[in-house]
Amino acid sequence: MKKGIRFRVNGVDTALEVESHLTLLQVVRERLSLTGAKFGCGIQVCGTCTLLLNGKPVSACSVLAVDADGSDVLTVEGLAKDGQLHPLQEAFMEVGALQCGYCTPGFLLTAKALLDENPHPSEEEIRSYLAGNFCRCGCYQEIVRAIQKVAGE
Amino acid sequence: MKTFDYLEPTTVGEACALLKQGRGEARVFAGGALMTILMKEGLLQPKTLINIKRISALKGIDFHPAQGLAIGALVTHHELETSKTVKEKLPILCAVEKEVANIRVRSMATIGGNLASGEPLTDLPQVFIALDARIRIASSSGERVMALEDLYIDYYQTSLAEDEIITQVIVPPAPERSGIEYIRFSSSSVVDKPCVGVAARISLGVEKACQTVRIVLGCVGPTPVRAKKAEAVVVGKPLDARLAEEAGSVASGECSPVSDLRGSEQYKRAIVGVLVRRALARAYEDASQS
Ligand SMILES: Cc1cc2nc3c(=O)[nH]c(=O)nc-3n(C[C@H](O)[C@H](O)[C@H](O)COP(=O)(O)OP(=O)(O)OC[C@H]3O[C@@H](n4cnc5c(N)ncnc54)[C@H](O)[C@@H]3O)c2cc1C
Ligand code: FES
Ligand code: FES
Repeated sequence: MKKGIRFRVNGVDTALEVESHLTLLQVVRERLSLTGAKFGCGIQVCGTCTLLLNGKPVSACSVLAVDADGSDVLTVEGLAKDGQLHPLQEAFMEVGALQCGYCTPGFLLTAKALLDENPHPSEEEIRSYLAGNFCRCGCYQEIVRAIQKVAGE
Repeated sequence: MKTFDYLEPTTVGEACALLKQGRGEARVFAGGALMTILMKEGLLQPKTLINIKRISALKGIDFHPAQGLAIGALVTHHELETSKTVKEKLPILCAVEKEVANIRVRSMATIGGNLASGEPLTDLPQVFIALDARIRIASSSGERVMALEDLYIDYYQTSLAEDEIITQVIVPPAPERSGIEYIRFSSSSVVDKPCVGVAARISLGVEKACQTVRIVLGCVGPTPVRAKKAEAVVVGKPLDARLAEEAGSVASGECSPVSDLRGSEQYKRAIVGVLVRRALARAYEDASQS
């Protein structure tokens, strides 16, 4: 079944016709060409497909696109504003919180959701909120440090 | 995933009527945490999905001193975790929620879906059963309320009829001088599903004797298990280390764990014994201090 959906993606009103069985990740990557979010496990475990749906982190691999009708969606492409990188992006570069970068969009958006909810988290709160995002290159120490840097500012 | 019809009713009545019309080929879709996985793997291919998330009557958390805490089926794990009302009235639920899955699952998945799924590797059923929770259920012909304990039949099987929807979870006020503890044991990463989860609740009678005792074991059988023989070991007596140990050892014989990646049957039984002993001791201490 096809269904018309309207949502805001990175601040832009977007209307699409989508098949009911497509995931939000498929639609964002393949129809909107926003390829920052990646496919990893497909079962809500790794976090590399993370998007913010109405400000909350979700696994886009496991959200139906039709279910995002009426929502506000933020992808990593929407983090920078007016050519200025988001402070988290700056901090990730400065601290060297990535190697291959496959997990980075998911970590950035999850960290943004955390800071929006709790602007000055403790190290333990950071680790616990991010426990469901995996980095196969093992940059965890640097990722936590980058977030602490922004949280302390 | 196969395509399907997708409907978004806005009232409970409408949703139940659609389920009835679907004659077993329509499925309730809440947070979708389990549904999307089952559909992607081809384990479930419903003809129609009834997304209930537009039904506002299923949202929100209320507290009444006489009835207790009423949690709407659509409340997400993260809402429960961060609710001020819950933190004040039943903080155990916030503590349990902090350890459920990961932040993305907690943001999407619902309490109703967690309880209705009949998934064996979950945390909330054993905690709510220990709290004597009841569920409110709506169908195309009316409404009923039942003990959560009576919902579960087998792996992924519940006593809900095709056209029934859980609308609310009700946790009655605890008796005076009660304590509760939940211990979740994960044998791999903390964000993995639990290997074993044990909930214990004790309320005290005269001379610090245990009056009401609930010991509920999760993840070690097709359904959550009330360890009634272990409860009987403790009832009527003040708890001490020996009694807690004995209850643990009795409880480890009251479940039916299977060997899998999270541990062998024998290992899980041993864990049950340890967790029951610890959970009872903490629940008792909690009750003694309240
Ligand atoms: C990676 C991962 C890790 C997880 N870890 C944990 C964990 O540590 N602890 C834990 O407790 N759980 C865990 N879960 C389970 C998760 O919490 C449940 O799958 C989830 O709560 C299901 O809720 P949902 O709203 O997404 O339901 P859905 O996927 O939408 O539905 C699940 C089932 O329930 C039915 N249903 C949903 N709502 C209702 C209703 N109101 N009335 C009647 N039927 C209904 C659906 O038809 C379906 O059969 C995990 C899940 C994943 C994917
Ligand atoms: S791809 Fe979605 S969580 Fe791994
Ligand atoms: S930087 Fe390679 S997976 Fe994280």
